[in-house]
Amino acid sequence: MKKGRIFTGIYGLDDLMDGGFREKTINLIYGGPGVGKTTFALQYSLFGLERGEKVLYVSFEMSEEQIIRDSSDIGWGAIKKYIDNGDLKIIHIFGEDLSFPSLDITEMIKKSIPGSNPRIVIDPFTYPTFYSDNEKRKSLSTIFQDLRTIGTTLVVLEEPADGAQGSNSSNPGDIQRPTGTSSMPLYLSDTVLFLQNLGFGEMYDRTIRIMKHRGSKHGEGMYPFSIETGLGLVLRTTRKQIERVTPKTKYDDRFIDALKKVRSMGKQGENLAARIEAVRKNWVRDEDPQQILDLVIEEEIRGYENKH
Amino acid sequence: MKINIEETLDQLYEIEGVEACMLYRIDGVPITIRVPEYREHLLETMFWLEKHIRRVLGEMNREGLRETIFFFRNNRILIAPSSKSTVLVTIAEAQANQQLISLETMRATKNVEACVA
Repeated sequence: MKKGRIFTGIYGLDDLMDGGFREKTINLIYGGPGVGKTTFALQYSLFGLERGEKVLYVSFEMSEEQIIRDSSDIGWGAIKKYIDNGDLKIIHIFGEDLSFPSLDITEMIKKSIPGSNPRIVIDPFTYPTFYSDNEKRKSLSTIFQDLRTIGTTLVVLEEPADGAQGSNSSNPGDIQRPTGTSSMPLYLSDTVLFLQNLGFGEMYDRTIRIMKHRGSKHGEGMYPFSIETGLGLVLRTTRKQIERVTPKTKYDDRFIDALKKVRSMGKQGENLAARIEAVRKNWVRDEDPQQILDLVIEEEIRGYENKH
Repeated sequence: MKINIEETLDQLYEIEGVEACMLYRIDGVPITIRVPEYREHLLETMFWLEKHIRRVLGEMNREGLRETIFFFRNNRILIAPSSKSTVLVTIAEAQANQQLISLETMRATKNVEACVA
């Protein structure tokens, strides 16, 4: 396991995400109704619980009883055991009951933490009680910043329904990108996963896309998944798709030549050598990097000559 | 024998005169593509496809068409729905054997359908 990574618990996803979520980050699950967002959140929770981790589940919709019942229906009745032994703490609250969310949510979470470095789930994220538009971004940013200090958070965000305010597309199947203040969570979070279901019952109807995954290389395709009773979300990724996000060593000679050239530039080449080394370690493409390396070195030399 | 989507596209891409082939979802999101190294005209065509594929499919559905052909510059672009939610696109050179490519594309759509339906 890569250091500082938290497994998502979703079968087939971690290979596409450089090993999973980064520790102490905000990870957003975005999608319309019935795509599997809550199943994702429960699966993420259960994966941690089964490995001795603590989970705090903040639900703005479902009560503890509903969560237990839904979990049992999908074959995850064990969740009750974790509630009883205190590893899983569920908080059910209505967004309307929060007076000032940036303070309330984090205070509430801090008070309820079942252990250190927990998995935190907020399902779904709602902000009905924020004061003004101007304060929304600040409040949200504060919440996210505080949550980052506590644990690794999974935030579920609902996609606006077709034609709803905030959507800028009338085409079903398009990413219904929220606009204005409702798009803020997408910008402020570290990872955004977009879940979709077209509803034809075919393989590529139910898909997941990694729209953003800060500080990590990740798959850029559209990956089909199914929801299996007992297992949850299972991605149907092919070996080829995983290979596309696996660093390649077949062009190492190109990088070694480039590094030699750069290091011969003296002190000013040291920083560039470190950057080229980072490219080498993360080169996932099948294509030859020579053109890119030549361009970068040429421009860096030119910049250096201009300065002197 | 049932072959998977990747193999189906590999086989189609190997046909002489096929410059690129792509499998799109009906909302224009590419599922898997086979393209050579960077070629500007192909990139333009792919942008066009992503934007217009839904409308083209709507028209094809209205007219009951199994395939539609567009000519862009020196390319022949064949669009063939492969299932309820996917569509296969083959971009061929104008001088390629069009009959063979049409037949192989239609055969490939059946493979794709067997995989995704």
